[in-house]
Amino acid sequence: MNILDIRGLTKKFGDFVAVDNMSLTIREGEIFGFLGANGAGKSTTINMISSLLRPTSGEIRILEKDIAKQSRFAKTNLGIVPQDLAIYEDMTAYENVSFFAGLYGLRGDKLKERAEEALEFVGLSDKAKSFPKNFSGGMKRRLNIACAIAHKPKLIIMDEPTVGIDPQSRNYILTSVRKLNESGCTIIYTSHYMEEVEEICSRIAIVDHGKIIAEGTKEQLKSTITDVKDIRIELKSVQGTEGELLKPVPGVRTVLQEENVIRVHSDAAVDNLNRILKQLMDAGKEIRSVEEQEPNLETVFLTLTGRNLRD
Amino acid sequence: MNILSIAIKEMKHDFRDRRTLLFMLGFPIVLMLILGLALTNAFSSEISVGDVKVAVKDATGGGPLSEAFAGFAKEVGKTGVTFEPLKPGANGREEVENNHVSGYVELTNQGISLYGSSRDAIESNIVQGMLASFTDKYNAAAAVARIEPAKTEMVLATGGSDYIRELSVDANRTPGSVDYYALAMTVMVGMWAAMGAGALIQGEVLRGTAVRLVIAPIRKSEIFVGKMLGGIISNLLCVMVIILFSKYVFKAYWGHHMGVVIAVLVSEVVMAMSLGLAGSYLLKGTASRGVISLVVQLMSFFGGAYFPILDDEGGGLMGFLVNLSPIRWANHGLTQVIYADNVSAAWPVLMLNIGFAALFLGVSILAMRRREGL
Repeated sequence: MNILDIRGLTKKFGDFVAVDNMSLTIREGEIFGFLGANGAGKSTTINMISSLLRPTSGEIRILEKDIAKQSRFAKTNLGIVPQDLAIYEDMTAYENVSFFAGLYGLRGDKLKERAEEALEFVGLSDKAKSFPKNFSGGMKRRLNIACAIAHKPKLIIMDEPTVGIDPQSRNYILTSVRKLNESGCTIIYTSHYMEEVEEICSRIAIVDHGKIIAEGTKEQLKSTITDVKDIRIELKSVQGTEGELLKPVPGVRTVLQEENVIRVHSDAAVDNLNRILKQLMDAGKEIRSVEEQEPNLETVFLTLTGRNLRD
Repeated sequence: MNILSIAIKEMKHDFRDRRTLLFMLGFPIVLMLILGLALTNAFSSEISVGDVKVAVKDATGGGPLSEAFAGFAKEVGKTGVTFEPLKPGANGREEVENNHVSGYVELTNQGISLYGSSRDAIESNIVQGMLASFTDKYNAAAAVARIEPAKTEMVLATGGSDYIRELSVDANRTPGSVDYYALAMTVMVGMWAAMGAGALIQGEVLRGTAVRLVIAPIRKSEIFVGKMLGGIISNLLCVMVIILFSKYVFKAYWGHHMGVVIAVLVSEVVMAMSLGLAGSYLLKGTASRGVISLVVQLMSFFGGAYFPILDDEGGGLMGFLVNLSPIRWANHGLTQVIYADNVSAAWPVLMLNIGFAALFLGVSILAMRRREGL
């Protein structure tokens, strides 16, 4: 069964088209990765699915019900973990979860039971009576998730739930996402961390300029770029001028810099490794190591959008 | 049920924000104490008048006026007003100018002249009143003497020493300084609800929780009513604390119509909340809070929260600004209710508050419906 059906979805802000005739289907039980650089249109799409924004045109169906016509049904089956924390710092963890769950019609013992369950799920049972203002960033992120799941929604949208937290909390959240999925929830997951998406998502869509430009499993997406090779070169120091330096080399498409490493995406058919290295050495760059990698999701994203995910 | 849980949540925010709560309660109470004590004299209606000394020059050479005046002087001497003959060689007017006496009376065959001192206006007025009373009686006696001289004494004796009769209109029911500031501060705190309301929706947006409220399966109107209800109850509780504190700690007078007073304050809080809400919708962003705070402070200033503004100061631009302040309406109306037992004075205030509340709420609802999200 399709849990989410988007057909011809468009959102305009004046003359600017944020989402352009987008269509997408997500099936029950998936962890769906929604990737796009800043301004690509993914947040606008998520906001329309959550009824925060009204579409200019198009249709959104949750569990086969049009959300414009049956918004209560759609909202009851939807949980959102917003990118920015959406919790009350002056209410205890339990009060936060039970307040939001109460808005979904839960009352009395059932409300108490669900709120406690949600807090236990995110590992905050022992902090139920504590105020979030005393929590670490990771604990607040976990409470943010608890507030979205206490009413047991069938579809959960997680908008960058791991931003700015320590690795331990990130692992906890990723494990929680998997557990939620195993318990029957469908999840739409957005992140700026490609490795997270690669690790947990069963299917991925890449959004650019308000359109879905690629969609499929990670293997399917990687197979679409057999014409690109990914060369990783570690230098003693990187000045930031390497991109300009390598642009004239035939076959080079993009050059990315990550600390002391430059990553060159180049046409697979062009044998240009020697020319790339010569160009760097002629410019006085000291090369420490060179490695040609298999294309990963980041390579796919870069090749398709021409931008880094974190741009 | 959703409305109630949103209202309770709102009250939790209000009462857990210790800094704001301290400001809401502590500031008016401290101000009430300081201004109430500092301006005690400004509100006192008692004026003490000591012995009044008046110089008299009798230029009639004796006769009925001289005799009658001597009797009058002897009689009023018992009340502390003494008429003393002008010292030989002295100038009566200069004596008054030099403040040696409160007045100077010249008796001539043409009549009585009184020179009063503008420095001792009250004393002069007392003497003038007594002399006016005396001359009326003397004129009547003179008229009787022309027709029936035997009854002259009887006319002069009529009324005894009752030359001045003191009458006051409910002198005990005028507000003292603590009474005034108890009312003024309470009304001002009621108006502060506008500042809280300015952050009612903005606060949810800034905290990011507006998203969760909007995506929940509840109507926007439930969010709106719940938040308003919580804010109104919180602010009314603050108002009640100020009333009770001023009544039982400062012994401020709140009259015999507490129900009416509270009704006016409820209407004021509702109007203030609506004003703040409309302001936050019309002036988008965090700037709205600054503008609303400024408006409320101006209303407090012109409404007489910090110092009393009398009715006769109501002319020109000042008068216009004063009359625009809802704090002024409420202060004025409630003063009538509390001190003159004039319950009907509450009606115009109630009607104005409810009318403006309806207007501001209408504006807010329209703005909210047009807006995506909260």
